[in-house]
Amino acid sequence: MSEATMTQAPEYVGVADLRRIARELLEAGDVRVVIGWENGRRGARPVFVTDPAAADRLIFDTRCVHNLVTYLNPRRDHVQELGRIGLVVKGCDVKAVAGLLREKQIDPGDVVLIGVRCGGVLEENELPAPLALTEANVAPRCYGCDIREPEHVDHIVGESQPEPPRPIMTIDDRVAQLDALPLEERWAFWTEQFSKCVRCYACRQVCPLCICERCIVEKTQPQWIEPSSHPRGNFSWNVTRALHLAGRCVDCGECERFCPVGIPLSLVNRKLQHIVRDRYDYVVSEDPEKPAPIGDYRLDDQQEFIK
Amino acid sequence: MTGHSSFISSEDLRGLTGDLLAAGTEVIAPVATDICQSPSAVAASACRIDKGPAIEIDYTPLTDAAELDLSRGLPQLSLKGYFLPEHEVLCSWKQKGTTIEVQEVPTRFAPRVVIGAKPCDSAGLAVVDKVMNWDYEDELWNGRREATTIINLACPVIDDSCFCTAVGAAPDDVKGADGLLTPVDGGYVFEPASDKGRAFADAHKARLRADVPADTLGRQADDERAAARARVQANLEIDADSVRDWIATHFEDPLLAMLAMKCNGCGACTGVCPTCHCFDIIDEVEGVGSGCRRRCWDTCQAPTFTLHASGHNPRQNQHVRYRQRINHKFSIYPLKFGEVLCTGCGRCTRVCHAGQDLVEILQEIDIAARRPGVAEPAEAAS
Repeated sequence: MSEATMTQAPEYVGVADLRRIARELLEAGDVRVVIGWENGRRGARPVFVTDPAAADRLIFDTRCVHNLVTYLNPRRDHVQELGRIGLVVKGCDVKAVAGLLREKQIDPGDVVLIGVRCGGVLEENELPAPLALTEANVAPRCYGCDIREPEHVDHIVGESQPEPPRPIMTIDDRVAQLDALPLEERWAFWTEQFSKCVRCYACRQVCPLCICERCIVEKTQPQWIEPSSHPRGNFSWNVTRALHLAGRCVDCGECERFCPVGIPLSLVNRKLQHIVRDRYDYVVSEDPEKPAPIGDYRLDDQQEFIK
Repeated sequence: MTGHSSFISSEDLRGLTGDLLAAGTEVIAPVATDICQSPSAVAASACRIDKGPAIEIDYTPLTDAAELDLSRGLPQLSLKGYFLPEHEVLCSWKQKGTTIEVQEVPTRFAPRVVIGAKPCDSAGLAVVDKVMNWDYEDELWNGRREATTIINLACPVIDDSCFCTAVGAAPDDVKGADGLLTPVDGGYVFEPASDKGRAFADAHKARLRADVPADTLGRQADDERAAARARVQANLEIDADSVRDWIATHFEDPLLAMLAMKCNGCGACTGVCPTCHCFDIIDEVEGVGSGCRRRCWDTCQAPTFTLHASGHNPRQNQHVRYRQRINHKFSIYPLKFGEVLCTGCGRCTRVCHAGQDLVEILQEIDIAARRPGVAEPAEAAS
C-alpha cells in the first residue's frame, strides 16, 4: 500500500474527556502526575503531566502503542517520588496493572487509572499523524483483543470501538509456523535470533512485570548467567527471562518493540502463554483477584512430569 | 578545497577495494542487507510478507568488492565495535596443580581499511582516543587504531535528528579519519587527511587522478559539502560552552531530573553511541580450572554500573543515571579533555522507543543556559 492510499485516522473519541479528567485530578491534588501520551517531534510518546494547564498535551490515537504501566513498576523509584500517579491505560494495559496488584508490588491506592476505549494500535508509533488500522499496519498483538471494555479502572473515556483488524500474519500463525519446523531447524532459528542479543537488557528494563530489584543476570556469587554476549550467555539469559515471565507476561510486546536487534520475543512469550493455558487452564487476566499459576496451588495440577 | 585532492571514479574505488582484498587486507564498509533474506527470518517480526524488504545497514567486513555500496544511509551501530568490541578476551588462565598459567592476548593487529565511514563515527574515535590514553594507555584500543586506515564519506545528513555541527563536528569532517571521499559526477573527490591517508593515496595512485578541475568537480564537491552543513545546522544550534558550564553549575536543577522521567534505563542509547566507551571486566570460568577475563560494553544507565559492594548505590534512580549521561557527555568530558563526548549522530534519539530526544534536551538546556540572572544557590551545585 502506498503512502497516499493510507488513510489518516482521527484521534480516538474521548480525548477531550481524558484531558478534562487529567486536569481535574491534578487540580484537586488527587494525583501529582498524569502519565499519558503526547505528540513528540518523532511521533507519539509518553508524557508526564504535572501542571493542570498542560493536560491538553495528552492525546490518544492509534499511535499510542506504549504500555505505560511500566512506569508503575516499583523499580522506578524516580517516578514514585513524584507522588500519586494518574495513569492512562488501554484495556490490555490493565492486565499489567493487575499483575502488579496480584503480586503486591503496588497498592490500589497508589494510582488512579484512566481507561481509554481502544480499537487497536499501530505497529509503528513514529508517525506525524495517526493512521487508520489495516491488516498491514495493525500491531499483531491487538488481534483477538479480549478487553474491549476495561472494568478495573477508576475512569473510562471514549466510545466502544470495533475490533482491531486481523493482521496478515498473526502471532499465533507465526508460532504455529515455528512449531511445525523440525526440532533442529527450530533450534537453529532460536540460536540465530539469540546470537544477535547484545545483552542491553532493554527487554527487562521496559517490562512492566520484571520487578526484581536485583535481576538474576546481575548475580555474581554464584554467577548463574554469563554476562558476555556470546551465544552461550545469550541463550541462558533469553531462556531465563522467558521462564521468569511464564504465566505473568501480559503480551504487551514492549520487550520486542524495545529490542535494538529485533529478536522476536513475542513469539517466545506467546508460546509460553499457550503452555500455561494448556497446563494450568490460566489466561492472563485484568482481574487482580484471579490467582496466577505461580502464586497458586491446586490439588488437580497436572504433575505427570514428576517421575 | 585543499590542493591535495584527487578524483577516483566509482569503478576505480571498487577496483581499489578489490586490490586491498586481493592483498589480504580486511576492508570494512557499510553494507545494506535485507534482513528478511536471512535463512531464519521466516518468523522474525520485521519480515512479515506484506512489508517488503527490511533493509539494515551495518559496517561489515567485505568478502567481495562488489558488496561495496556507498549509498550513504546510517549504519545501525557506529564504528566503535571495531575498536572496542562488544566483548573481548583480555587474558585467559589455566590451572595446573598449584600453578596458574596466564595467557595474554596479542595487542598488535593486521592492517585494515574502513571505506565509507560516517564522519560522526570517525570523529567519535578521535574523541575517545583521549580517555583511552589518559592515565592508562589502552593497548588494545591503540593497537586497533594504529592498524586501521579510515576513509570517510561526506554525509548528506540523514534526518532531523542529526546535529553534528552543534557539537563541533561536521558532515564532511575528517576528525579521527585519514581521508575523505565526496561524491561527484562519476565518482568521488578524495582528500587525504593524515600521513596514513597520504600513504594510502600513494599506494593506490594508479587508481587516482590527481587533476580535479577546480571549476567543475571541485566546485561540485564544495557545494555538496556546504549544502550538507547548512542542512544539519538548521536542525540544532546550541552554544556548547554555555551548555557545559550550565550543567556543571546546576547539578540539582529540576530540569535535569524532569528530562529523564520517561527513560526506561535500557541503555540502548549507550550501545549505539559512537562515543560511549564504558566497559565492565568480568571473569568467566570455562570448564574446570580454566577460564578467561573478558571486557564487555557496560552502560551507565544500569543500576549495577555504580552499585558498591556495601550495597550503597550513589546513582540509585534512573533520572540520576540519565543526568550522569548528559553531564558526562556535555560537561565532565569537555572540562577534562576539551571535547564534547558526542558527535551528533542522533542514533540515541532514533533508537529510543520511549521518545527521549537529545535534540530537544540540548535545546532545553541551551535555553536554560542563555536565560539571564537565574542562578542556582551555590551549595546545590557542590
